[in-house]
Amino acid sequence: MSPEGTVEVSHIWKRFRADRGRRLLRDQITRATHLGRATKGPDPWRWVLRDIDFKVEPGESIAIVGANGSGKSTLLKIISGVMFPHTGSVATQGRIGALIEVMSGIHPDLTGRENVFVYATLLGLSRKQVAERFDQIVDFAEVEDAIDRQVKFYSSGMKMRIGFAIAAFLSPSILIVDEVLAVGDASFQQKCLNQMREVLTSGTTLLLVSHDLAAVAATAQRGIWLADSRVRAAGAIDEVLGQYRTAIEQQAEAEATVDGLIQVSNVRVSGPTNSLVSTNEPCRISLDVHTDTAYNANLYVGATEGAPTPIFAIRREVKLEPGVTTLTLDIPRLPLPAGKYYLWCGAYKVMTRAELTPWHPIATLPVIGIHKLDPTPGSIVRLSPVFVESRWTVERRGGIDAATQTAG
Amino acid sequence: MVTAPLPEAPPPELRFRRGLNFGSSLRNLWEHRHVVTNLGIREIRVKYNQAVLGFAWAILTPFVLMVVFSVFLSGRLKIGTHGLPYPVFAYTGLLAWTFFSSALSSAGNILVSNPLLNKVYAPREVFPLATIGTSAVDAFAASIVLVGLFAIYDVWPKATAVWVPVLLLVLAAFTVGASLLFSALTVYARDLRHALPLLLQVGLFASPTFWGLEKIPSQWRSLYIFVNPVAMVIDGLRQTVLYGHSPNFKYLGLAATSAMLMLIVGYGVFKRLETGFADVS
Repeated sequence: MSPEGTVEVSHIWKRFRADRGRRLLRDQITRATHLGRATKGPDPWRWVLRDIDFKVEPGESIAIVGANGSGKSTLLKIISGVMFPHTGSVATQGRIGALIEVMSGIHPDLTGRENVFVYATLLGLSRKQVAERFDQIVDFAEVEDAIDRQVKFYSSGMKMRIGFAIAAFLSPSILIVDEVLAVGDASFQQKCLNQMREVLTSGTTLLLVSHDLAAVAATAQRGIWLADSRVRAAGAIDEVLGQYRTAIEQQAEAEATVDGLIQVSNVRVSGPTNSLVSTNEPCRISLDVHTDTAYNANLYVGATEGAPTPIFAIRREVKLEPGVTTLTLDIPRLPLPAGKYYLWCGAYKVMTRAELTPWHPIATLPVIGIHKLDPTPGSIVRLSPVFVESRWTVERRGGIDAATQTAG
Repeated sequence: MVTAPLPEAPPPELRFRRGLNFGSSLRNLWEHRHVVTNLGIREIRVKYNQAVLGFAWAILTPFVLMVVFSVFLSGRLKIGTHGLPYPVFAYTGLLAWTFFSSALSSAGNILVSNPLLNKVYAPREVFPLATIGTSAVDAFAASIVLVGLFAIYDVWPKATAVWVPVLLLVLAAFTVGASLLFSALTVYARDLRHALPLLLQVGLFASPTFWGLEKIPSQWRSLYIFVNPVAMVIDGLRQTVLYGHSPNFKYLGLAATSAMLMLIVGYGVFKRLETGFADVS
């Protein structure tokens, strides 16, 4: 038998009926009596997972990423055992704690205290174990004053916090987390991340689904990218996220409607000596803007990791005359660590802020160089990569050989 | 990673199959017995936390029906109770029927839009079983009234009441079987939710709750009891507790067979349909 905390997913296929409308006795009878003819109609089944196959060792943390509807949640439900696969099998060892829709297990008519006991015992703890953890749970959820109040009188944030707290203190062998980092305010999110980190260091296997790629990169070691109901990429988290981001960017590029009132073309990127740009070195970006009418425009140029949210965006107010205007942007020291980035551009009228051309990708921006970002522990989530020139000074006081250390 | 082309359909030899084994299913259920208890506790708490009268509601349903039957029906229909006070006679029957009816009607709905269905990793039958458990607690509370009625009319249980556990076992088996069957079918045919209350309403009058079993012609009585074993339980409770007779063993055997059949069919259908519950509800 595999050690506790192992998850083995082998060749999972899952389908749903395409029409999930009404389910009445009449429909069932029609379906049953027309069984012979049904094969001629369009295929009523839609595959949501096709041949998903991977293994997670105890203590590993795996992130599952992918667009909405790519089958992530279904996969988690199958692993947690509440849904059954069509083909293939799942083998898990040890207790599973799942943070999927944490709110739905909380009953509004019960008090916070009753909910903690009833819900936690339903998830597999004994009453004694719940009693031991009760104070921790209440403390974590920050609901001390309201614990004997009915949950329906809680604010929605309190409900989410108590739901998360119960599940977080299950101490399972396998923890399944589905997009719960969106729970609560910023400080509670930080607490959740710390708690997850702590759970991980105690040897729990983590399966994580999130659209917050920065948090995923900080928490998970391996990644699985689901697209089109199948595994598109699997491997080290940075690699998988890199491919996933590229795909997001390509899709944005394909969808971008570049037929705005003005057109951006002929984008050139160059470094100090040739077309290669590197970290903390000068970088020149020039582009041509074509317009038929004169506009007073705010032009934005920015760099992203693939998704539309930029790491930085630089604005220039410019008077556009009919014809072609060439703009050149010089960045003396490019603050991006080595990696693959994308240049995005958008233009808006100065007075009305009406869109002249939407925020859309215009070119790739590969950055070479030796400067890599310092790795962070999982509880520190970087918003986006920025290279900052820095210098440390460490002074030891009172010691015999007070040393001074500097680093660039 | 370049994905190799996938076939349109999965290889049939890998089709997910659970060995539907009676023994292993029961063992799995036994391992999750605490889930049944905790679900039941949760349900009872939710039910009575809010109610002003608390547990009195459990007593009220059979009690009010008993009063209504006593006042409006007993005199007019000339129901022979063989010398027993009518309220005691009716309440005994109503107690058994109310348990069956409330268990079945709440179990029928338990798998539809239940938020816990995706959260509790236990065999799915824990949900209807917990509901039946709460109905049993209600019935236990309601039987306090029966003790009161015994005292008022000075009718006391006879020694043959030792048969009561056997009768309750038959009742429990039939209730569990029917509840499992209906809860599973309701997931796939939602309109059964509307059919069930109607069925139970008819059943209330078609069972010997306010009349005696001897009203059924004797040549039909065996078939009747096979279809409705609850009737046998009601009659058996009266015979053993109130009259001091042994139960009619032919009818008891028929009812037990019917209940066992219902249990096996209900459990079998439930386990067969179980894999799809999370997909459609």
